[in-house]
Amino acid sequence: MANTTVAVIGGGPAGLAAGASAASLGSEVVIIEKLPFLGGRPIEENYASLTPYLRSAEEAMGEVIDHALSFENLTVMLDSKVIAVTGDPGDFVLEVQSGEEVVSLTAGSIIVATGFQHFDPGRETQMYGYYEFDDVIALQDLEAMLKEGRVQRPSNGEEPKRVCFVQCVGSRDRQIGNEYCSKVCCGVASKEAIEVRLAVPGVEVFIFYIDMRMYGYWESQIYWPAQEKHHVQYVKGIISEVLPKDGRLLVRGEDTTMGRPMEVLMDLVVLSVGMEPSMGTREIAGILGIEQNKYGFIEAVKGPLDTVATSREGIFAVGSALGPADLEDCSSTGGYAGARATAFIRSHAKAGI
Amino acid sequence: MAQVTFDPYLKLEHLAGHADVTRAEKERLISKVMADRRFPDYLYGCYECGICVAVCPSARFYDFSPRRIAQAAARVDVDLMFQQMEEDIWECSQCFSCLRCPRGNNPGGIITIMREVAVEEGRRSAKTALEGYSRIIYKIMSTGTQVSPDMLQPDAFPDWGPEVKDVSENLSLWRRALPPETHHTTSTGWDVAESTILELYVIWLETGALEMIKEVDTGIHMILEEIMEERLEEEGIEI
Repeated sequence: MANTTVAVIGGGPAGLAAGASAASLGSEVVIIEKLPFLGGRPIEENYASLTPYLRSAEEAMGEVIDHALSFENLTVMLDSKVIAVTGDPGDFVLEVQSGEEVVSLTAGSIIVATGFQHFDPGRETQMYGYYEFDDVIALQDLEAMLKEGRVQRPSNGEEPKRVCFVQCVGSRDRQIGNEYCSKVCCGVASKEAIEVRLAVPGVEVFIFYIDMRMYGYWESQIYWPAQEKHHVQYVKGIISEVLPKDGRLLVRGEDTTMGRPMEVLMDLVVLSVGMEPSMGTREIAGILGIEQNKYGFIEAVKGPLDTVATSREGIFAVGSALGPADLEDCSSTGGYAGARATAFIRSHAKAGI
Repeated sequence: MAQVTFDPYLKLEHLAGHADVTRAEKERLISKVMADRRFPDYLYGCYECGICVAVCPSARFYDFSPRRIAQAAARVDVDLMFQQMEEDIWECSQCFSCLRCPRGNNPGGIITIMREVAVEEGRRSAKTALEGYSRIIYKIMSTGTQVSPDMLQPDAFPDWGPEVKDVSENLSLWRRALPPETHHTTSTGWDVAESTILELYVIWLETGALEMIKEVDTGIHMILEEIMEERLEEEGIEI
């Protein structure tokens, strides 16, 4: 008998969208999540709110999780990790380490939703001192702070008077090897800049950038309001180093459009770190034997008009396992892959393979 | 007053320029510019795209950039704004080509405000810029017409040819040869009705337009004030 199960590896925004899509079309779905909870990065990293609407991450992801769990034909395995996969398209066998035990399950199709991880600023070739200075933090650190309803200098707990974001940390850099744009950091940094302005009266906020990449509606949803309504200062020029000075942080760069070098004192420096393939994405690519691109993300072998096909038949990839992705990308590729996996299982059943 | 923050850029003193003017005085002047009620409509946010420079006629001939005007204002860079007030803004021709800004900014409008503040405050730059215009200010404020035929000195315009001299000598005759009767004048550009003059005087005085030039050209201001008040008094108009 043909296998009617779709195995979704990863329970973040893309995996949940894939699972719900396949389940709504009648497939048996099992979502395998390595953490003890669903929701992916937004929940794991304590995001305060989602871009662009500043909606509570917990609330928004809660709805997505509830929707997936509302399908009777969808089950979830938490604390579970795929350690081996055998079999052939239409009839895969997955070995899953679930807590203490290893269970074996079969699936007709597999959807890889293993996501990204934030670039480790310790690898940055500029001298930003993420591990050296308490007041140099990353986007997700500020998210966690905002979620607790505070914006403080970690060094002394005081409210900052001047905050800056440094864009493209770990992205668009040949020295590091990440030549790609991470796609969401401009929007996320601008969103956080607005939140900082709202949280701390009179705070000055700067964004140092190479070029702002605010696609489509993000322009008028985030960029313009940040600049026009919340008076966030956008300065084209990237910071070369952060130095301690008089209990504050001196950032050095060039105000390129004004044509002058610049040294500015900051209380809090936020590094807009990019996306890299998560450990899970790197591991699963090896386990499944699917192609990765030079950066370690899963290769969408058929290009722009087929965003989810991998190099192996019956295996699809979604969301930020494929490369830098925003939430729209995650739900779009997730929903699409759910349908594709379901169609794949049915075509196999008809062929009687 | 608009809030003027401390210039975030750590510039060395001599790089700030105009060291003879105190920081407090610069802040006072720039606050006045930013407090102008038109200011928020003239500056939203700047892409720094440079389209305003691309269309700017002055930028083709001078070291002048409407982009830098908008940027300095967006950055609230007090030192630079002051420097622009003393130097750059007088190179703008106020043609407002820069209004094609995709963000709806109006760098020329920011310059209008800066110029008005510079004039009101009697800044040296405004005095210098208006130096050659004393006669025109006098003419336009006292008669409502900007240039009159008798202001044209034949020797000043050699490129107009030898006929200019001849015309100047018989100016009244030549003017009377023009078909519209309202052009049979030599000391005004055209015939200005008495009621119009009175109306103008009331406008100059009521709107503060006359007051505006007090600091920048004391002499002309004094003469005009006397003319206006006397004329209005004759008509029994009280301001």
